[in-house]
Amino acid sequence: METRPVINPIPPVRLYRINAGSCNGCDVELAATAAVASFDVERLGCCYSESPAEADIVLITGPLTLRVKDKVLRLHGEVPKPKVTVAVGVCPISGGVFRDSYAVAGPADDYLPVDVNVPGCPPHPRAILAGIAKAAALWRELSGCGQTLPEPAVPGSYDEDAAAPLGLRGKMRFNAAACVGCRMCEHVCAGGAIRIDELGPGLRFTLWHNSCVFCGLCSHYCPTKALTVTDQWQLSHFQEDKFSLTEQGFIPFVACTGCGHIMLPATPELLRVSYRKTNPEIERLKTLCPECRQKQSLGGIRR
Amino acid sequence: MSGTVITLGPQQLALEEPMYFSVEVDGEIVVGLDVLAGHVHRGMEHLVMKRNFYQNITLLERLCSLCSNSHPSTFCTAVEELAGIRIPARAEYLRAIADEIKRISSHLFNCAIIAHIIGQGTLFKRVMEVREIMQDTKESIYGNRMDLAANCIGGVRYDLTPESAVYLGKQMERIKGPLEELYRIYATDHAIRTRTEGLGVLPNRDAINYAVVGPVARASGIDYDVRRKSPYWAYDRLRFQVAVEQAGDVRARAMVRLREAREAVSLIEQCLVDLPPGPLCSDTLPEIPAGETIAKSEAPRGELIYYLNTDGTDMPVRLKWRVPSYMNWDALQVMLKGQRVADIPLIVNSIDPCISCTDR
Repeated sequence: METRPVINPIPPVRLYRINAGSCNGCDVELAATAAVASFDVERLGCCYSESPAEADIVLITGPLTLRVKDKVLRLHGEVPKPKVTVAVGVCPISGGVFRDSYAVAGPADDYLPVDVNVPGCPPHPRAILAGIAKAAALWRELSGCGQTLPEPAVPGSYDEDAAAPLGLRGKMRFNAAACVGCRMCEHVCAGGAIRIDELGPGLRFTLWHNSCVFCGLCSHYCPTKALTVTDQWQLSHFQEDKFSLTEQGFIPFVACTGCGHIMLPATPELLRVSYRKTNPEIERLKTLCPECRQKQSLGGIRR
Repeated sequence: MSGTVITLGPQQLALEEPMYFSVEVDGEIVVGLDVLAGHVHRGMEHLVMKRNFYQNITLLERLCSLCSNSHPSTFCTAVEELAGIRIPARAEYLRAIADEIKRISSHLFNCAIIAHIIGQGTLFKRVMEVREIMQDTKESIYGNRMDLAANCIGGVRYDLTPESAVYLGKQMERIKGPLEELYRIYATDHAIRTRTEGLGVLPNRDAINYAVVGPVARASGIDYDVRRKSPYWAYDRLRFQVAVEQAGDVRARAMVRLREAREAVSLIEQCLVDLPPGPLCSDTLPEIPAGETIAKSEAPRGELIYYLNTDGTDMPVRLKWRVPSYMNWDALQVMLKGQRVADIPLIVNSIDPCISCTDR
């Protein structure tokens, strides 16, 4: 039997998991990255560690409940420097659906230096791997173990351009031209990820992907489907991009052609939902505010 | 009295969730047990009162990710009861399909953990790989591997197109063989039998006294399944066997879960055959009147009860749960007494405790 000496062996980067009050969704997915061959962290040159003192990267799940806060901080403190911290799932990043609770102390970065965020609820194991890959590269840089990452054993197993798994619910997309400003999306969003502000000449729509739990309820209830679910699921990012990971849109007010009052435009999608097809009469009425439209319609009856 | 008290945490118990036990031991033997709970307490009862009914569908799906479909579907059933909505026949079948898919995944995850604790690393990975068939199915049909987002008030949010129904049927064919194989391994493998037989016994009498539910009850000879006793959705039109074992030990609980996973495959196949055409949801934005109601369902871990109180606004006045793990982990007192300290992780995991459900 011929054995070849291992050339330039790279010591594995050791990962330590902390559950900070999670619903166990992210933890079960982390278990998949330890047990399922196609998501194995060992492909990234990483391995799981049972002891915080023997770890390089910390993976935090859960919204950081008050009850576990001190335990989590103690465990995190036991990990030797330089350490890299990854927030897995939207809970440690923003609180997710559990924000504003009396029992939740988070977000985690109020207490710990977080380096990489992996939004998702729970994130796909491959999204978690992409986040771990970012963290491992950062750790190798910080620790002076400057080796590059080994090539993935299976191409595309964690690179960001890999095709999305079929049918996956990814981040939301907003089409301002279709929005009628009914605010149903804001009303049904459990994580408070959507905000619509009146801003001078129109409505400003903002969606924070780091608060969104990717349930798609906003899209389900959107009457004109201005909000749609995309298959973009690779959203891991460094902490400095935490607040810029948003979807924004602006719906400008238009002036009523009758009286000049400002109003929200009647979008082609709304007309399609309401009338299926338009005619010149509808096209004319849509430029009027409700009051002028009423007057016009009353006039029409008399005629 | 020995008086030695040790604290065991998630690391020692091979639990995914932070849960601590204060165990009183006499040498190697457990004599007393206290649960130190609350680490996953996220103030859910407070949060549901601050969110409207629509937000609560998504919030409740995150109460626990392993039984994530049971929570929103039972909540929606309660809301529909108050609003006097009868969901369309197609939605009744689609809700049952979503629940059974989650049941298979949840049971397989527990079987994987049991293998991991016994020290059968290869079997652990094998069960997790088999479970991936279900994970792929959930991802392709619902768009997420854990949280399906299948329910809305008045019905369901997803549909099975002819193609996706064929795909689901094929996936069920794919998983049948592996499920049979796992059942045979857990039933006959010598190493597994040695570790699980006669361990953590919950006698039938104690099971009744502690009012345990789900696979824990059925493994102790209690023939109780909400799907059979008070059928909901499409379950009155589906044929299935309630898996009951008599031994009440760790092995019996694992066998009940594996038998239920096989039954779930059959239930999904029946649903695919019988799936009626028609609408998915009866009323998209119904008014919810004031009132109170109870809804229950058979979650993977057992009977899940929802109490809902409303006042005519779009937020609940009160929402209260009785989750299956709450009933089951009290019975650990009986199962663990007189057992060896080294067997605690196996016995604790044999009730498939869901801490995030119980701590909320």
